[in-house]
Amino acid sequence: MIAVTLAATLFSFSSARAQQPLRWGADPSGGAPYVFNDPNHPDQYIGYEKEMADALAAAMGRRPEFVPSDWETLVSALGRGSFDVIINGLEPTADRLKQIQFSKPYYIFQLALTVRNSEQQIHSLADCRNRVVGTLGNTAASRLLEKEGVPLRGYADPVAAYRDLELKRIDAVLMDVPAEVFYVSKSKTLKRAGEPFFRGTYNIGLRKGDDALKAEVDAGIDKIIRDGTLEQILRKWNLWNDAQTELQAQIRAGQNVNVANELTSSSFNWREAIWRLARAAVVTVLVAFGSMIIALFLGLPLAVGQSKGPPWLRWLCTIYIEFFRGTPVLVQLLFLYFGLPTIGLAMPGWLTALVGLGLNYAAYESQVYRAALEAIPRGQWEAAYLLGMNPLLAFRRIILPQAFRIALPPMTNDFVSLFKDTSVAYAISVWELATAYRELANASGQFLLLGVAVSLFYLAMSLPMAHLARRLERRLQRREAIQAVEAEIV
Amino acid sequence: MIRVENLIKQVNGTRILRGVSFAVAPQTVLGVIGASGSGKTTLLRCLNGLERIDGGLIECDSIRLETNLSAHEYARRVKELRRKIGTVFQHLYLFPHLTVLGNIIEAPVHVLRVPRRKAESEASELLNAVGLKEKARRYPESLSGGEQQRVAIARALAMHPALLMFDEPTSALDPKRSAGLRSLLRGFVERGHTMVIVSHSIGFLEGLADNLLYMEGGEVVESGETDQILNSPKDPRTMDFVEQAK
Repeated sequence: MIAVTLAATLFSFSSARAQQPLRWGADPSGGAPYVFNDPNHPDQYIGYEKEMADALAAAMGRRPEFVPSDWETLVSALGRGSFDVIINGLEPTADRLKQIQFSKPYYIFQLALTVRNSEQQIHSLADCRNRVVGTLGNTAASRLLEKEGVPLRGYADPVAAYRDLELKRIDAVLMDVPAEVFYVSKSKTLKRAGEPFFRGTYNIGLRKGDDALKAEVDAGIDKIIRDGTLEQILRKWNLWNDAQTELQAQIRAGQNVNVANELTSSSFNWREAIWRLARAAVVTVLVAFGSMIIALFLGLPLAVGQSKGPPWLRWLCTIYIEFFRGTPVLVQLLFLYFGLPTIGLAMPGWLTALVGLGLNYAAYESQVYRAALEAIPRGQWEAAYLLGMNPLLAFRRIILPQAFRIALPPMTNDFVSLFKDTSVAYAISVWELATAYRELANASGQFLLLGVAVSLFYLAMSLPMAHLARRLERRLQRREAIQAVEAEIV
Repeated sequence: MIRVENLIKQVNGTRILRGVSFAVAPQTVLGVIGASGSGKTTLLRCLNGLERIDGGLIECDSIRLETNLSAHEYARRVKELRRKIGTVFQHLYLFPHLTVLGNIIEAPVHVLRVPRRKAESEASELLNAVGLKEKARRYPESLSGGEQQRVAIARALAMHPALLMFDEPTSALDPKRSAGLRSLLRGFVERGHTMVIVSHSIGFLEGLADNLLYMEGGEVVESGETDQILNSPKDPRTMDFVEQAK
């Protein structure tokens, strides 16, 4: 007891307040201009919020410590204690307020609509009723689009959204002004449609109950506003505007800042959530079946090419197979989605996922085919040849049906795992089950119940498959078993 | 029917066949006897084109296989040759995914383009002839070894071969079933079939083969009429083999 007290005393003496860190979390991936990897020094982070966090920590007499995290799970990571504050352009929405508390605002953001230079018809959000608008998931922009009934596609980072706009996969992008200023001002192909509209605030997120820290943070914000540090930072990043002048004047005057937020996020609705999960399940089924069909059709020629083709073809097939088996499917999907458009081949997300997973699984199925083909005795080929069959006919009529029976169990196995692998399509903004779970759960905090619901959806799809496969196998075996028994009796 | 002259086959530099010559007249049965490793099976595999020959020639009707042919031409002639020769392997190699009937009509329907119905009625006749009429819809796995062999024979006969070749037909049969097979084959010979039967069982060939050919070390030691080979062989090596086999 004494030792503990002593140690604590020593600790508090040895670590001056200046040494106590301000651990702040944010998502740096695609996070410009908030916080992101410096393109010139990729191991360092830059951004206006990075500079603000540093200034804030200095004002609080603390040492800033940045904890890179993930946008969608920022709130739950804060709750778990991965860091102490969120500084990531976070708006104090009603559902977030149920889980965490917020500091006073430090920035007033607006929303800006972006379209392609060639766009003639879209001048405001009202023109987007029958178009698809991209935005970040679980933001003020996405909630506004939902409320206005505009078809939207959620992205994990702004770069992907703007790129898809350039590639005509979507018709417009609605984004907070900081991101819009950063990306669109540099673009030669995109332009702003109409003036920025809507107002909301960015505040710093804290755990409920961390009241002392909240007071400290609020005082820190006051300080960097009063001494002009924040203004300097915002001007440097081209983010200074009339709204900020207003906000800072109010804060300097010690007024309570209250930005009338016309937008309260709709409260969580289970019926709608299940409906959205069901639609996501349809996408999952479509992608899984489509890619399995590709894998089955492409796997066979790969297997034959690799084992029976001329040397150059063997090499080609082996390179294909080793490439697709040896690199993560996630990387392959990202390449297809973002890489191929640079040579003019832009596919929508679901098709990219379908083709990508198909190409990937073809490599695996080719090995299943190969093993099955090698399991057929050479005498079967010879018997077919001696009956006058050419190699193609012998393969099609004699060898393949036998090999297929051997390949069926491992293929069903692969299909069930393909079902689950469709979740990587999240990375390219395909709204399948895993994406749906992440977004719905993050918006509502209902990780547990939604998790159960999503698992039930997966099971409802994969169990019938496994059952069907078992029945198919048993039927193939039973036909022979029954006859073997009959033969014994006779 | 078929004539073989100075046939040579080598595998990895070792001569398996060292100049084999013989001829089979139409509607006769030649029995090829000899110990394991004497080259009997390799001889059959050369005759039906599964192995390319390295010397000598094979002539069947007007088709000649020689060593100086291009790979393409050799393959073309092998294809023609196979239309004339039916083979029943030691291990049969029935198609396990097809029924008995399916095994028999597969090649007639897909190679000869015989209408399915016609092929099926022909197949029923063949199954009748080999005594398997009732088992047309069964799968090979559910049949006994002897029944499977008769399916293989029917499958070969469905292509109307001029020459039927067997590799060790009695290896999986008990004496009673061997006798049954012998009388079945004798029936086919009486209906005009020509056969080459490789077997180590002299008892099986006695009374079935018109001529016998004794091989040892890839060479023909002695050949002649069955009676003569079995009862008064000229070569002491033949005598030894026949003595032991009896």
